[in-house]
Amino acid sequence: MTNTHLLHRLAWASGVAMLLSFMATPGQAADKPILIGATSSETGPFAADAEYNLNGMKLGIEEANAKGGWLGRKLELKIYDDESKPGTAVRLYTRLITEDKADLLIGPYSSGITQAIAPLMNKQQYAVVEPEASIPTIYVPGNKWNFQGVASSLTYLEGLLPLANKNGAKTVAVLGLKSAFTLACYDARIKQAEQLGMKVVYKTTYSLPEPDFASMALAIKNAQPDVVLGCTYYPDAVGLVKAFQAQGFAPKYFAETVGPVAAAFTKALGPLANGIISNTGWWHNFKTPGSKEFTEHYKAMFKQDPDYHSAAGYGAVKVLGAAVEGTKSLDQDKIRVWLHANTVDTVQGPFKVDANGLSQGFSQSLVQIQDGHLKLVTPEDLAEAKLLVPYPGK
Amino acid sequence: MLAVQLLINGILLGGTYVLIAQSLNLIFGVMRVVNLAHGSFIVMAGLFTFWLSARTGLSPLIVLPIVFVVSFVVGALLQPVLIEPLMNQGRRAELLSLMVTFGLDYVLVQIALHVWGADYVSLPYLQSTWTFGAITLSKALVVVGLFAVGIVALLYFGLNYTSFGKALLAASQSPVGAACCGINVRRVRLFAFALGIALASSAGTLLIMILPMAAESADNLTILAFVIVALGGLGEYAGVTIAAFLLGLAQSLAGYFLGGDAANVLPFVILIAVMLLWPQGLRRAA
Amino acid sequence: MPHTNRMNVGYLLTAVAFLVVAISIPAFGSEYTVQLATDILSFVALGYSWNLISGFAGYISFGQVSFFGLGAYTTAVLVNHFDVPWYVAVCCGGIVTAIVAAIFGPIMLRLRGILFALGMLGLARILTVVFSDWDYAGGAAGTTLPPELNPSAVYIGMALTALCAFAVNAYFARSGFGLDAMSVREDEDAAGALGVPTTRVKVITFILSAVFPGLVGGLIAWNRSYLDPASAFDPTLDLQTIVFTLFGGIGTVWGPLIGTSVLMLIGEQLLIHFSSLKLALYGAVVIATVLMFPGGLVSLLNRFGLLKRKLILAPPELPLGDAPVATDAGLDSSDSLLEVRDLSVRFGGLLALDNVSFRLRRGETLSIIGANGAGKTTLFNAITGFVQPTSGEILFRGSTVSALPVIDRVHLGMARTFQIPRLLSELSVWENVVLAARHGRQKHQPVQHAAWVLRTVGLDEMWLEPVARLTPGRQRELELARVLALQPDLVFLDEVMAGMTKEEQERVRGIIRRMSDFGVVGIVCVEHVIAAIADLSDRMLVLDFGRKIADSKPTEVLNDPVVIKAYLGEVQ
Repeated sequence: MTNTHLLHRLAWASGVAMLLSFMATPGQAADKPILIGATSSETGPFAADAEYNLNGMKLGIEEANAKGGWLGRKLELKIYDDESKPGTAVRLYTRLITEDKADLLIGPYSSGITQAIAPLMNKQQYAVVEPEASIPTIYVPGNKWNFQGVASSLTYLEGLLPLANKNGAKTVAVLGLKSAFTLACYDARIKQAEQLGMKVVYKTTYSLPEPDFASMALAIKNAQPDVVLGCTYYPDAVGLVKAFQAQGFAPKYFAETVGPVAAAFTKALGPLANGIISNTGWWHNFKTPGSKEFTEHYKAMFKQDPDYHSAAGYGAVKVLGAAVEGTKSLDQDKIRVWLHANTVDTVQGPFKVDANGLSQGFSQSLVQIQDGHLKLVTPEDLAEAKLLVPYPGK
Repeated sequence: MLAVQLLINGILLGGTYVLIAQSLNLIFGVMRVVNLAHGSFIVMAGLFTFWLSARTGLSPLIVLPIVFVVSFVVGALLQPVLIEPLMNQGRRAELLSLMVTFGLDYVLVQIALHVWGADYVSLPYLQSTWTFGAITLSKALVVVGLFAVGIVALLYFGLNYTSFGKALLAASQSPVGAACCGINVRRVRLFAFALGIALASSAGTLLIMILPMAAESADNLTILAFVIVALGGLGEYAGVTIAAFLLGLAQSLAGYFLGGDAANVLPFVILIAVMLLWPQGLRRAA
Repeated sequence: MPHTNRMNVGYLLTAVAFLVVAISIPAFGSEYTVQLATDILSFVALGYSWNLISGFAGYISFGQVSFFGLGAYTTAVLVNHFDVPWYVAVCCGGIVTAIVAAIFGPIMLRLRGILFALGMLGLARILTVVFSDWDYAGGAAGTTLPPELNPSAVYIGMALTALCAFAVNAYFARSGFGLDAMSVREDEDAAGALGVPTTRVKVITFILSAVFPGLVGGLIAWNRSYLDPASAFDPTLDLQTIVFTLFGGIGTVWGPLIGTSVLMLIGEQLLIHFSSLKLALYGAVVIATVLMFPGGLVSLLNRFGLLKRKLILAPPELPLGDAPVATDAGLDSSDSLLEVRDLSVRFGGLLALDNVSFRLRRGETLSIIGANGAGKTTLFNAITGFVQPTSGEILFRGSTVSALPVIDRVHLGMARTFQIPRLLSELSVWENVVLAARHGRQKHQPVQHAAWVLRTVGLDEMWLEPVARLTPGRQRELELARVLALQPDLVFLDEVMAGMTKEEQERVRGIIRRMSDFGVVGIVCVEHVIAAIADLSDRMLVLDFGRKIADSKPTEVLNDPVVIKAYLGEVQ
């Protein structure tokens, strides 16, 4: 880390701090603030990742307020804890709409919870950007009010198989956790492998808590695939890597969807994590507009590195802001029409949806853990390192 | 070769279950306290070990005695407040202890969340293997299994060959009778509970090497422990150990031939089947 | 009872107040209020159904969510694949869960205690896996339902479900069937010995406790318009239900309603204001409840005389009661009442009973004596059906009963007491006796008969007392009264005079002498206190290490050198 970089960061940190203290004093705005509501999983199994997403949103709001808010009004973020439960989220969004009279809403964390609140948005006619609902099944005919603010789960690890195939990999094992998001990825990757003419030598789905990854790893060892592709969440991502090592098998390519990007992953696996491939919808060296500032502000404000969850939360605020400013109103129907018609550049890439609200602009880039650190390996122009093959597994 | 590897996998998996189950067996099987916070103690110890190891670089095997002592003290402080007052309630004691520890579980999870956050963590320790031809042995699994079995063996000798252990067994079988023989039943119960918590916590310290844990992942360990104790027979020392290994073996086979979900529901299928055929547990069936 | 009228007015006012609140919620509340009320009512209904199987019948379940999920999936499948109107689909969900409970009940309810709880949890886990593999129902990714447009309709459905669940609880708290369920909770084996058809009672209770979660599941699925296996069979739903019900008061009529309402309203505020502390506060509430007032809020209110439990089937005053009509006419003393042929019982390597044979004639009293471990209680257990004999035959009034379950032997006219009284200790004297009367020969008029038994035995003064307040001697009398309320032909008394004072023994001896007034025509008793039983016995049978070593008149037996040797050891 260079000295200028450090100075830069310090400057930003003090700037944001001043900004915050300024915010704490009563605002002078004549209008009352625009109320933006959302739930986040502050407790329950999703709490760890949801925090990054929420922080991204908070930063987006802070920045907007620093620039005077939207339509000349300050923004106020109202967050409830949905306990990682769909039922609680439905009730609390109803509260945000009918009791708190929120002007705007942002979606919750996770595909499952979004799936539960999506019908409510259609019924209440709130145009909502969903920063964490990657499953495609929400954005189907009949959905008018939910907009995907993140890359679809169909795109998770999409870039890996063509790359591996080009390098001579012939056989694949695909694993899928039984959840809406991971299964969408599982089906898509199996189909992709077949289209590429690669042979799927082993495939299975499982549920959490899975007591014994050893058996799965042993079965895969017997099938000897070139590529192992796991559509995973965090605990199973770690469990699988440990199990493969315990069974003495290291595939040439070892990729997992969710897990490797988390800082805890490398801590949990040490050197075993090296060579694991994953993907991300955002990376700090993205040339997307505002990406650099986003990274710096985020680090200054939360004393942690942002991840793609943070970028998605931040992006959702930006998209909503663009729609509000674009329509010069808080009218939900106008915002809906605007969101359908326009493309918004976010740190993740272009926000652009089809007629059903499915994302068309976002994509996933591959990352790989090398020497204990995540390195971007695709796209080529941004890559920080070359893809390391084979996976060492020790 | 495949058969041998499956057998080894099963035994190693069973090895991770032994201590989880035996620590509950002491509290539930012997003292008849239904401890629903069992898994939370395991997970808290695991998270604590991770935290301490990550900070100080200590090996988890060195953290083990620290965890043992600390959790013993915690157990000894909790028992007089939460468990002892229920012990004079006769047949209702079991239900009441279930309810109290159910509440305790919530509190422990919240504490763990506050102190260590909601992240899943695991320690990279002894991540290498011994290879014998086509057979692979994970060092971490072997070490965890050996330590677990070793601790359980110590427990066995402690219970059967020391006067305090005998007092404990006597107090569990007949509190009144034991009191008549001059045994301080209250102190024995306190010791047994604290020891059970200390053993459960030791299991957590060992398991964090091989299992990702998070504050809210405790319930499954609690359930697993109860199922194994139920299968082995309450208070049955050998039965529970055998049940732990058999379950590990069965899950390993089911996982290989039928898939992960089969291994997942297997404990319950076995539990229901065994309880219907032999209501007294596996040992009585043999 | 002077308070009765005032109490009824109180209940009526409460009911009216609830009704007013219930109707005004959709009329005046915001959609959030309606949603919150729907969610609270769903937990009230779940709490009441859990209360049936776990509170009244004492089978703690961690898996009622299985029925919630089944109901939800039934509704989803019917709505999505068969275009059934949602309210019809919800009702079908209730029917499906009832059927499933009827099939699984007899299997699962063979598990007891924590094993039943875990077994039910396992059922939920198994169903999660089954539904996540079943693509027709949506698979692991879940399924969407058509959007629900009228939250008030779901609210009304939920309110009706909760009301029905409440009504069934109220019925349990006041009816003979509810008493049967509670007897299973208090002591299942003792209940069986009193002729309670425990399996039937458990299964019916289980079915009732499955129907309401089925309905709630369907309503919630429709309300949410989305369903997946993880949320349909979410075990934390049960945990929450249990916390609420425990807090309110398990096994009470008002507990689930009060506990759920209070905790959910507080919980919602916590969620909104202090979400980070919510879990710990829940936990603290449960711990404090159990340690300080294990009966929950209701028990706290009871201390102030509010919401007290009414005794089941208790008339305002104890009636005089009618002496029963004799049922066993036309047999003379030459007839054999009980015949035991070559009975052996083996426990593993231990031969507890070795080829024991004897015969009891009508009108006879037989006492069985022997040292500790001689096999006396085993003999009782084998004859009354609590232990399966290894070989041999038991004939009652000339026909074999060897293979019959306990309850059938009770209905034929054999009844027993237990060495340590196994009374329904949470209930009253009255309820203990009326329970037996309900399942005995006078079951068509249990109240009159129970009253007569209590008066005749001499417990009429304390008929309203909780059992726990009786002296051990009185408890023994109550156990006898309970057996006599069955109006059996043959009574087995297991050490009814052990550990009693002379005075207490005299009272019990009085009851034994008057047993023929109750229609009893034969008595077999096991006794340690030989002096207290010798003069009441026509014959005495001596067991030693499982073998019969003597069987004749008491005076002869007590002078038999073999018997003396068995009792006192080798005399030089």
